[in-house]
Amino acid sequence: MKFKNRFDLRVLGIIGSILLIITEFLPWFSDRSCLDIYLLYTVVAVEDSFLYLFPLISGIIGLIGSILILYSEEFRINSVIISFLGLGFLTFFLFKIVSSDLFLISNISVGFYLCLVGFLIVVINVILILRMKDLIFSEGN
Amino acid sequence: MKDDAYPDKESSFYYALSHDIRRKIIKIIGDTQITSFTNLKKKLKVSTGTIYHHLDALSQLIEQKGDKKYYLTDLGNHAYKSLKENVAIIESPDISKREFKSPLLKVLMILTPKKFISFKKEDKTYNIIISLSILAIGAILCGISAFYSFLLFFIETSDNIYNMEVTTHFAFSILFLINFQIYFLLVEGICRLFYKKKERTLEFFFSFPVVLFPMVLYLLIHFILLSTELLMSFIFMRFLDIILLILFQIWSLWILTYSISYNKGLKIEKGLVISLILHYGSFTIILLLFI
Repeated sequence: MKFKNRFDLRVLGIIGSILLIITEFLPWFSDRSCLDIYLLYTVVAVEDSFLYLFPLISGIIGLIGSILILYSEEFRINSVIISFLGLGFLTFFLFKIVSSDLFLISNISVGFYLCLVGFLIVVINVILILRMKDLIFSEGN
Repeated sequence: MKDDAYPDKESSFYYALSHDIRRKIIKIIGDTQITSFTNLKKKLKVSTGTIYHHLDALSQLIEQKGDKKYYLTDLGNHAYKSLKENVAIIESPDISKREFKSPLLKVLMILTPKKFISFKKEDKTYNIIISLSILAIGAILCGISAFYSFLLFFIETSDNIYNMEVTTHFAFSILFLINFQIYFLLVEGICRLFYKKKERTLEFFFSFPVVLFPMVLYLLIHFILLSTELLMSFIFMRFLDIILLILFQIWSLWILTYSISYNKGLKIEKGLVISLILHYGSFTIILLLFI
């Protein structure tokens, strides 16, 4: 899957996943990163503090899925299922925080927006993997 | 086609079936056992010369008797039976018979209720009862636990469910049933609009509740955890609850993919694309509504 023989589009999955991992350490709300919020909430025993690790978990799982498809095109269905799992964590987290008070009262920072970009890149990557035309669904999968 | 161009009978047989119009002629005659030239012209919608050309190519498979009507020869009957059997195999790769080497897909196939999705006539009543049960249990659990449902997204209300009126609980149940209808219509709509697949709509509809089965199972587990107060007592249980929700969503997406692939005759990759677009497309809508 190459664009003018220069750029392998499967790398998009790697880019999107790394972006998600990085956003864990970038400011999300009022210059606090998700990691900062997780550590703070854990110390004061706020419920569901582990949710703020979900962008990191999602990125790591997405990275595993992306590396799998780069390793061999036979694993594309496996790669897609694993990517679904990673995206599942992220969608749950995004939905939870968007509906929370924190979202309403804080200044949304670059971390949130980059997370959305990473999410979209991973979704586009999954669609591109599924549309790979040179491989019939094989029993190797 | 003249026979001397293809002296080998086997080659001439396959040549005869190589053209779409010739295959249609075989099927028209095979379906009714007998047909007239007028009927062929009406159904094929091509010129007289074209029909005669193809009838000439089918000289070994079709014969014209004294009544001027066309019949299939023994070879023609054999061709007709072959066409009927092979079309189903060629156009709809039977995913239910696939063997998977990947452990992940093997597990997913074990978790897929294949017999239920195939919706065979002999199991019709049993399948409908199961479908209705899934919907009924899902509606009840959604109502009791006060979950908003939108496709595969089940969102717990922030209000205290113990202080809610009965009508509010009932509304959540109705919402679940409406969600099921919307989900089916969206999937069916996408299959028809983008892939022109209109077959097995009724079977697909009656077996569609099984797509929501993992989510209903999640609702049941969530309800048990909530009512035994385990959910509020242990952070680990809360984490487990979220993990189960995500895993069961994946399970539902896989069942949807398999169901689309089986019922609509699409490749599994296309089924996954439909599942993905619906799932994450709906998530984007929910996110935009909140933002």
